[in-house]
Amino acid sequence: MNLRRRRSLAFPLALATLLALTSACNKTTSTRAEAQSQSKPTGERKPAPDFTLQDANGNSLKLSDLRGKVVVLNFWATWCGPCALEIPWFIEFEQQYKSKGLEIVGISMDEDGWKAIKPYVAAKKVNYRVVLGNDAVGTLYGGVDSLPTTFIIDRQGRLAFPPHVGLPGKNEYLNEIQTLLDEKQHADSRAFIPGDLLFGSAAAAHR
Amino acid sequence: MAQPQRLTVEPPTQVTVKRGEEFSHKLTISIQPGFHVNSNKPRDEFLIPLQLTWSPGPLIAESVSYPQPEDIKVGADTLSVFTGKVVLVTKFRAGNQASALPSSLTGKLHYQACNNQMCFRPVTVDVRLPVVIQ
Repeated sequence: MNLRRRRSLAFPLALATLLALTSACNKTTSTRAEAQSQSKPTGERKPAPDFTLQDANGNSLKLSDLRGKVVVLNFWATWCGPCALEIPWFIEFEQQYKSKGLEIVGISMDEDGWKAIKPYVAAKKVNYRVVLGNDAVGTLYGGVDSLPTTFIIDRQGRLAFPPHVGLPGKNEYLNEIQTLLDEKQHADSRAFIPGDLLFGSAAAAHR
Repeated sequence: MAQPQRLTVEPPTQVTVKRGEEFSHKLTISIQPGFHVNSNKPRDEFLIPLQLTWSPGPLIAESVSYPQPEDIKVGADTLSVFTGKVVLVTKFRAGNQASALPSSLTGKLHYQACNNQMCFRPVTVDVRLPVVIQ
């Protein structure tokens, strides 16, 4: 009887200790761990809708051409104050992680087009690709009613995290980017996914 | 893209003036709590100012006055904005040749709204001021 009672007390005690240890460990890794826990399981990720847009020099950028890279797809505009706050972060990420497979793409939703964008990009010393967006592409990504709105896309061209609508913290981006860059070793699995399924329709992306 | 209104304009009531008379008209706008619009003179050249313009008509708009903006901090930036209830004052003069028939003057209010996390596309609202010239 005593032994049984001791056993019945031992289990909750061990569980409590384990929970306390897990909690303590989480305190040191919480932000990165949060990013990992918030990333959708690879099997559940939906394809990022494909599009082709032009940069300031008239060069086309087709999203599906970036397959194999982690893509930060940032909808922004020159008149958007919170967008201006995150641009220096993207400049820094581009410098730090481009060689590791990161591609930042800024989709400007400025109605005035390059007349507004060019001086802004020059003034802010933007070092990543900027293309001119339109409502059709915005619709593909759920309407993009407010800016900034940012999607993080894995190396297989899939939406890996819930979109950031509004200004997140710099570390949220950083943790998500690093999480996806670390998935590099699994990148070869993309060879088994038909290309036409990777970059599909908006309906597929938001289903 | 259709978007919910973050700013509403109190519809102007009819004004009755004599030919050649000068008067001030107050247009009241309300910005939803939690949102702001850039003032008429934003600190950053890339931000879109609040602007009220009037089309030619029975009244001549001589000037538009904006209230004192407030400064708010968003991240490291200080923004010059309007929040809450804002009154824009237009100095009008009725034309000497204006028709005595009831008519109206049309204006446009252009603004761009944000909160501390996100911004919404610039919007232009039509304003109609009913006018009777005596």
